[in-house]
Amino acid sequence: MRFQSQLLSEDEKEQVHQETLRILFEAGVLFHSAKALNLLEANGARVDWEGKIAYIPREIVTQALSTAPRSFVLGARNPAHAYPLPSPVSRYALDGTGAFAQDFYTGKNRYGTDEDNARALRVFHAMDMGVMAWAPVSAEDKPAGTRPLHEFFSIFKNTSKHGQHEVHYLEQTPYLAEGLITVMGSEDEVRRRYAYSLIYCPIAPLMHDGPMMDAYIELGALDMPVMTLPMPVTGTTGPVSLFGNICVANAEALSTIIIFQLAHPGRPVIYSSATGTLDLRNGAYMGGTPEMGLMSAALAEMGRFYGLPSTSAGCTSDAHEPGPDAVLEKAITSIAPVLGGSDIIVGFGQVQSDQLLVLEQIVVDNEIAHFCERIFQGVDVSPEKVLTEDILKLGPGGNFLTRKSTRNLARSGELYFSPLLDRHTLEQWTQLGKPGLYSNARKQVENILAEPMQDPLPGDIAAKLDEILAKADKELA
Amino acid sequence: MSEELLKAMAQSIIDGEAEVAMDLAKQAIEAGMNPLDAITKGYMPGVNEVGDSFACGNVFLPELVMAGEAMKAAIAVLEPELKKAGASREILGKVVLATVEGDIHEIGKSLVGTMLTAAGFEVYDLGVNVSAEKIIAKAEEVGADIVGLSALLTTTMVRQKEVIEAMDKKGLRKKTRVMVGGAPVTTDWVQRIEADGYSEDAVSAVHMAKNLIKGS
Repeated sequence: MRFQSQLLSEDEKEQVHQETLRILFEAGVLFHSAKALNLLEANGARVDWEGKIAYIPREIVTQALSTAPRSFVLGARNPAHAYPLPSPVSRYALDGTGAFAQDFYTGKNRYGTDEDNARALRVFHAMDMGVMAWAPVSAEDKPAGTRPLHEFFSIFKNTSKHGQHEVHYLEQTPYLAEGLITVMGSEDEVRRRYAYSLIYCPIAPLMHDGPMMDAYIELGALDMPVMTLPMPVTGTTGPVSLFGNICVANAEALSTIIIFQLAHPGRPVIYSSATGTLDLRNGAYMGGTPEMGLMSAALAEMGRFYGLPSTSAGCTSDAHEPGPDAVLEKAITSIAPVLGGSDIIVGFGQVQSDQLLVLEQIVVDNEIAHFCERIFQGVDVSPEKVLTEDILKLGPGGNFLTRKSTRNLARSGELYFSPLLDRHTLEQWTQLGKPGLYSNARKQVENILAEPMQDPLPGDIAAKLDEILAKADKELA
Repeated sequence: MSEELLKAMAQSIIDGEAEVAMDLAKQAIEAGMNPLDAITKGYMPGVNEVGDSFACGNVFLPELVMAGEAMKAAIAVLEPELKKAGASREILGKVVLATVEGDIHEIGKSLVGTMLTAAGFEVYDLGVNVSAEKIIAKAEEVGADIVGLSALLTTTMVRQKEVIEAMDKKGLRKKTRVMVGGAPVTTDWVQRIEADGYSEDAVSAVHMAKNLIKGS
């Protein structure tokens, strides 16, 4: 059977929910958006306008959860890459908006650029475990006022998988809408296919940005799905206990979903989280810890508890550079949400607490994803896997290499063979120059970048997108 | 002067007990203790001990923060008495702190404020989403030695540069040094925007601030 896990019991999930309802109603949530506060007040929440805090009663929570779709297909520019939510398996997203990139050619770390996004998206496109592209770096070479548009449009151009990104304020939304319609052909197609979605981060604890929320409410006109990614950190922006931090993250996720459901009932939303832990010795944020994995898994279960598509941050690392520390942290923060049933785990490609993009890491993370997938698949007990007859036939001292069952199941996925780990004999491996996970990943990146781009935008669409960006750069300067 | 009282003051900081620290400050005033002695001979040894222990890894951040809060509480009681006596405690420098316009991330900046206050700086924390004009006006008003600018996002850290440019135009940089901080800030960025310094965490920020004061 499949590897099954349960982190929170039904009673414990109910407890998280009840504690969350208390937080929403008694502590309230701060919104820098008057639109959001108006929506809440009109639906029965008490609003302290001076403090910008809404005290959200349980009725509003129930109402919002009743209109949020329980399933939808996360579409893609190429429909072959569409991914139905919820999913029986976990797939992955590229980590997004890191500040830095490790230059693939010089090995030096520097601020991220538009070109880094393009390369990373092309590499990600080739990863079989990746379903959702988030622009991995903040493109520091583009103007701050239009930067998220450049990043979003880079997704349009460099992968035909589902794209998720952000805008920062209302004035950016018409350019995004124009870009989406240009790529998808019509507004109807944008609305029907859900090929692009928005990522939204509340500000922990229990706060919401104004301009970004207003922009996202506006984009409800295009029915763009929104993924909410609360990021409380144990001991600073959230309580020090995992349970307390889970409740804060849950309250932030629900308060986000409430706004987008009140504004546009039925708009697709995706439950998610990206919690962190505090290094109590120096105050550093950490996202690559076992505790982060546990919180991600528990919150994935909470998303499922609410009947929502449920995703998580994971495959995260605080290592300063790619290497064994990163692999350890990424493995542990992947397997937990995989076992928690997360639909999508967001974290491919970055180290340094989601701040440094490394192209080889995208490939390494895809491999970690395969290992986790194999664990999740568990032990198959279907008749062709029982094989007691073979054991009886051969008896003590037999050689199973001679059995047809061995040959027949060799390529069935029963045993996973890693294309990245080196399995030559010791002497061969030494003669080959000791290839390993990262050097093999590097070769794969070189090959992907040397090949023609997969699924490029047809005709003059890329040129039209550039025109929209040029217009935005000029008008929003 | 009561040695016992002074020891209890230091201990209240080490224990991070703000209420105890305040009570002891009140007792000191009632007993006629020189408020400056209370600070320098009572509480400061506690602050120094916690700081040293933190540097060695024996004290965790929440303990350090609680110690800082206790120090702030004690100073709040003693400061008015100092003024009444026409005296003042030794201030290492005046610091105006803010998270830049467009950014509402607060905790890192507040932590720096607590650490600076505990170390003996006078801190004016303007909060989050603060415009360059407001920051500069405050710096001018109080005669700031240091302006500290926080930004968590790559899209808002450009505001740090704008504040520095505005300060340059006003000719404020000779008197007022600029420290910057936040996740995307690096030495490279500091050089590009011609800031005077940055640190990667709140404790190092205190060292940086002290160095900037020494160097000015």
